[in-house]
Amino acid sequence: MVQTKKLKDGSRQVILTGKQYDVITKVLSELATKTKASAILFADMSGQLISQRGSTEGMNTTVLSALAASDFAATSEMAKLVGEEAKFKLLFHEGEKRNVYLSNVGESFFLVVVFDVSVTLGLIRIYTKKAIEDLNTALEESGEEVDEGSMIDSDFSTLLGNALDDTFK
Amino acid sequence: MFINWALQEINLKIVYYGPGMSGKTTNLEHIHQKLDPSLTGDLVSLKTKEDRTIFFDFMQIEVGRIKGKKPKFNLYTVPGQVYYASSRKVILNGVDGIVFVADSQPHRMEANIETLLDLEGNLKQDGHSLDNFPWVIQYNKRDLPGAEAIDVLQKRLNFFDVPNFEAVAVKGEGVFDTLKAVINLVVQNVQSQL
Repeated sequence: MVQTKKLKDGSRQVILTGKQYDVITKVLSELATKTKASAILFADMSGQLISQRGSTEGMNTTVLSALAASDFAATSEMAKLVGEEAKFKLLFHEGEKRNVYLSNVGESFFLVVVFDVSVTLGLIRIYTKKAIEDLNTALEESGEEVDEGSMIDSDFSTLLGNALDDTFK
Repeated sequence: MFINWALQEINLKIVYYGPGMSGKTTNLEHIHQKLDPSLTGDLVSLKTKEDRTIFFDFMQIEVGRIKGKKPKFNLYTVPGQVYYASSRKVILNGVDGIVFVADSQPHRMEANIETLLDLEGNLKQDGHSLDNFPWVIQYNKRDLPGAEAIDVLQKRLNFFDVPNFEAVAVKGEGVFDTLKAVINLVVQNVQSQL
């Protein structure tokens, strides 16, 4: 399971282990090969890009993830308004040259597949479905416990404070 | 907060909240303009034809590696107008820290209060509460003639006694102090709960 901690103030802390990251990246690579998709992104629902595959050079994938997460959030509000109790599971944007297929992976993550119009939607659907199953399995596997105390210690906050001072001069 | 152990990345989400026209987008524009381009990504604004934020603005900034770790800050604004309530709610998903940008003009006091209550309500739905969440207040537009006195603003808006900053965002005054303060609060908050 992805290490998720609920802090006292209610905020959520998600930690992805090295092993989970490797599996995710492998699943994305496979999906990219099988579907010939131009780009594949895996991100979390708060808009944070986690991993990407395909030819993403020249594509601002950080912004793409933030927009895609908002797309999901907006459509789940839409779902409520039209009387759909569950969230919409997938979103599809059709263009003249490229299409974008978005699908949720569990409650907290989603997948973005950017592909050429010459690739059929059916093919994308089949392989994406399989990839989502694999991703869910990877996310559910218990990874090694990670001690975030070693990640964010008091030294870190002092150094971060200094770095911010330098950057914001 | 999202930690990617493999890449040693720490990602934080900071949201600028406040009434319409209080200067949330202006804060981000200043940060984007002033920071070294190698540390900041594109500033994306989803605006109406009238230049009002319809959904959000987004920008990611970095400060380089610290003890081998790479902190990244994702900055968002929400649309201020009352009727974009559901957009505001969805942007708060996964938020780690908030900057409340208040408008110092006396006639905007009601709008400030209304938006603060809206923020409190939205946070509650996510299980947060303003009294222990990392957030700061920025009193913006201090240069305008007739701007409300700080102690009046403090009394009406800062009932949890959070750090507060005076700002003139169009000139960049107070913008980085505010951002630095909220980032520090978020990091302290995480540490105190380890």
